[in-house]
Amino acid sequence: MSLKNCHNFSDFRKLAKRKLPSPIFHYIDGAADDEVTYARNTSAFDDVDLVPNVLRGVENVDLSTTIFGKKLDLPFYLAPTALQRLFHYDGERAVGKAAQKFNTMFGVSALATVSVEEISSMIDTPKMFQFYFHKDRGLNTSCLERAKAAKFDVMALTVDTITGGNRERDLRTGFTSPPKLTLASLFSFATKPMWGINYLTKGKFELPHIQDHLEAGTSTNTSIGNYFSTMLDQSMNWKDAEKLCAQWGGHFALKGVMSVEDAKRAVDIGCTGIMVSNHGGRQLDGSRSPFDQLAEIVDAVGDKLDVICEGGIHRGTHMLKALSLGAKACSGGRLYLYALAAAGQAGVERALGQYKAELERDMKLMGCTKISELSRKNLRFRG
Amino acid sequence: MSLKNCYNFEDFRKLAKKNLPAPIFHYIDGGSDDEVTLKRNTESFSKYDLVPNILASVGEPDLSTTVLGTKIDMPLFLSPTAMQRLYHHDGDKASARAAEKYGTFYSMSTMATSSIEQIANVSGGPKMFQLYIHKDQALTDNLIDRCKSSGFKSLCLTVDTVVAGNRERDHRWGFTTPPKLTLKSLMSFITHPKWTFNYLTHEKFELANVSHFTKKGSSIAKGVMEYINEQYDPAMSWKDAEYCVKRWKGPFALKGVMSVEDAKRAIDIGASAIMLSNHGGRQLDGSRSPFDQLKTIVDAVGGKIEIIVDGGIRRGTHVLKALSLGATACSFGKGFLFALSAGGQKGVETILQRMKEELRRDMILLGKKKIEDLGEENIAIRN
Repeated sequence: MSLKNCHNFSDFRKLAKRKLPSPIFHYIDGAADDEVTYARNTSAFDDVDLVPNVLRGVENVDLSTTIFGKKLDLPFYLAPTALQRLFHYDGERAVGKAAQKFNTMFGVSALATVSVEEISSMIDTPKMFQFYFHKDRGLNTSCLERAKAAKFDVMALTVDTITGGNRERDLRTGFTSPPKLTLASLFSFATKPMWGINYLTKGKFELPHIQDHLEAGTSTNTSIGNYFSTMLDQSMNWKDAEKLCAQWGGHFALKGVMSVEDAKRAVDIGCTGIMVSNHGGRQLDGSRSPFDQLAEIVDAVGDKLDVICEGGIHRGTHMLKALSLGAKACSGGRLYLYALAAAGQAGVERALGQYKAELERDMKLMGCTKISELSRKNLRFRG
Repeated sequence: MSLKNCYNFEDFRKLAKKNLPAPIFHYIDGGSDDEVTLKRNTESFSKYDLVPNILASVGEPDLSTTVLGTKIDMPLFLSPTAMQRLYHHDGDKASARAAEKYGTFYSMSTMATSSIEQIANVSGGPKMFQLYIHKDQALTDNLIDRCKSSGFKSLCLTVDTVVAGNRERDHRWGFTTPPKLTLKSLMSFITHPKWTFNYLTHEKFELANVSHFTKKGSSIAKGVMEYINEQYDPAMSWKDAEYCVKRWKGPFALKGVMSVEDAKRAIDIGASAIMLSNHGGRQLDGSRSPFDQLKTIVDAVGGKIEIIVDGGIRRGTHVLKALSLGATACSFGKGFLFALSAGGQKGVETILQRMKEELRRDMILLGKKKIEDLGEENIAIRN
């Protein structure tokens, strides 16, 4: 199997599985508890059918959309994800360049392995910084200031990781960051020598946004769950979010809002967007899928801020369904992470190209030439 | 396994799989993207249950019905399908003769491998021609006029194919028309020597209706998808459809209508029927199944235009469910194509015989003498 045989999400996933040591693959691929929410995030899309219109004259399709005041060429962007250099040695450099090529937004995680300064010097397309609220207020201020100085366009505060999710695959494989060799994982690393060689020779693994504030530095192997549970401030409340929003002074989003009540409060504290998200099924298992919850949220706040549908998206038609319900845009992590693991920048570009081709094709088959033409009239929920 | 052991759709499918080189089998068998819609097309019939009447002294039920200006002996006909010569060396001739024998419509695709005139010579049964609007207007006009002078009874315009669907099985198997030998498909052709022998020793493969118009000719191996994207006009509009209605001046169907809005417009432009269809799940994946959408359409336009359910039909009871909800007739593609692949004309006759037997038996069990006796009282939706 090679990149040119990758035609869809599950092909990229297969290739990533072949390339990555298993603890790392399962870190991407896994989710919390029984992974019920993870599975639902995608299957939710099958409960609604698209109803196309015909004979509309659809030669040229415009996929562009505007979120957070920025015009993107595509109605989806790359959600911030941590530790990308574990998946491919180019990590965020590969993903950022691919995002620029397709003129869509690149989300950079607080746990990125390439710094905001470097990314900013590399790409001039829209950028989002994803932020965790740490106990260490100095670290919080430093993140905000660095992102501002690096001219990031949007700040997204993640609000669904107040404690680490129970990712049982990581417990079984012994996933830590940086990777630690255990007896169980040794075999897996030994059977993927290319990954090992690249990991060890292509520059040191770093977490540039937080490492200066870690007492023990990055040489201590820690699990992500442990990081969330020990470093992040569990007392975070609406006041803190409001303060951060004011301190940032630009487009500000809450990532991981699921209830109508919270969506309304996000409007009140001055947010310009929310990501309806359950963190890819990786936090609270059994929680509602973004797509299942989307209509309620859009009805409540859709005219007051940008509602982003994040999670479970594998196909252009999934995006069209979310956009028809009223989402301003979609985003995803696994959407491009398997492709990154499969082949770096070329992989991400191939995946983005395929989503774009799917969207163009599906828009034509729906009889629509602009994203704004999609509406609930195009949908029928199955009885 | 032989034709006489084929009792149902699945049996014919199995025999077809045995007879055909893999790329060709998968071209028939596959749908687009994740094949969600393909699967739903058949599944949706299970959402409704039949409610029989007893002691109705049915005797011998009359299965005939009138659709598109023609009385046919059973309420099921052959959908237009492309390139039948690939599935059996007798191709369209076999299907047309079998349909004539059973007194139902044979439909010819624009992409047929026999010409309009050839088929008019071999079958005196009711014939429908399926039209695609090509970028070259002269080609479209030529097809309409030839059908008229060759005695075709009705015309249908396909409107759900402005761009080719994403049929991933074809990517994987390297399906092209005419078949091209790739390293991967070679084995499959070698292991089906009978198909390969017949393919090579019978008349040359050509898209008989259009080959004299397309510059590339039909001798160059090219994907049918590529043909669609190059030759069909994505700017096709209601004006173009209306033009075809007027030029044809006979019973006219729009194939691929799914929304109420479009069904109403079909009446406005003078169409006599709509075919509710998603192209057998081969175009927009995630789109609604014809049977799921049927009641909505019947409620809006029933009685004003004929409604044909095309897609997912495998059983006589599927046909009866659709008729009970208000469809005028049903059509099927994969059903008879597998039978054609399984045994040529004899194969198509066998499946029509099976379907006719099922329809007869099921009408008796339902306690109905005539097709028009079927109504919503015979059917209940499951909660």
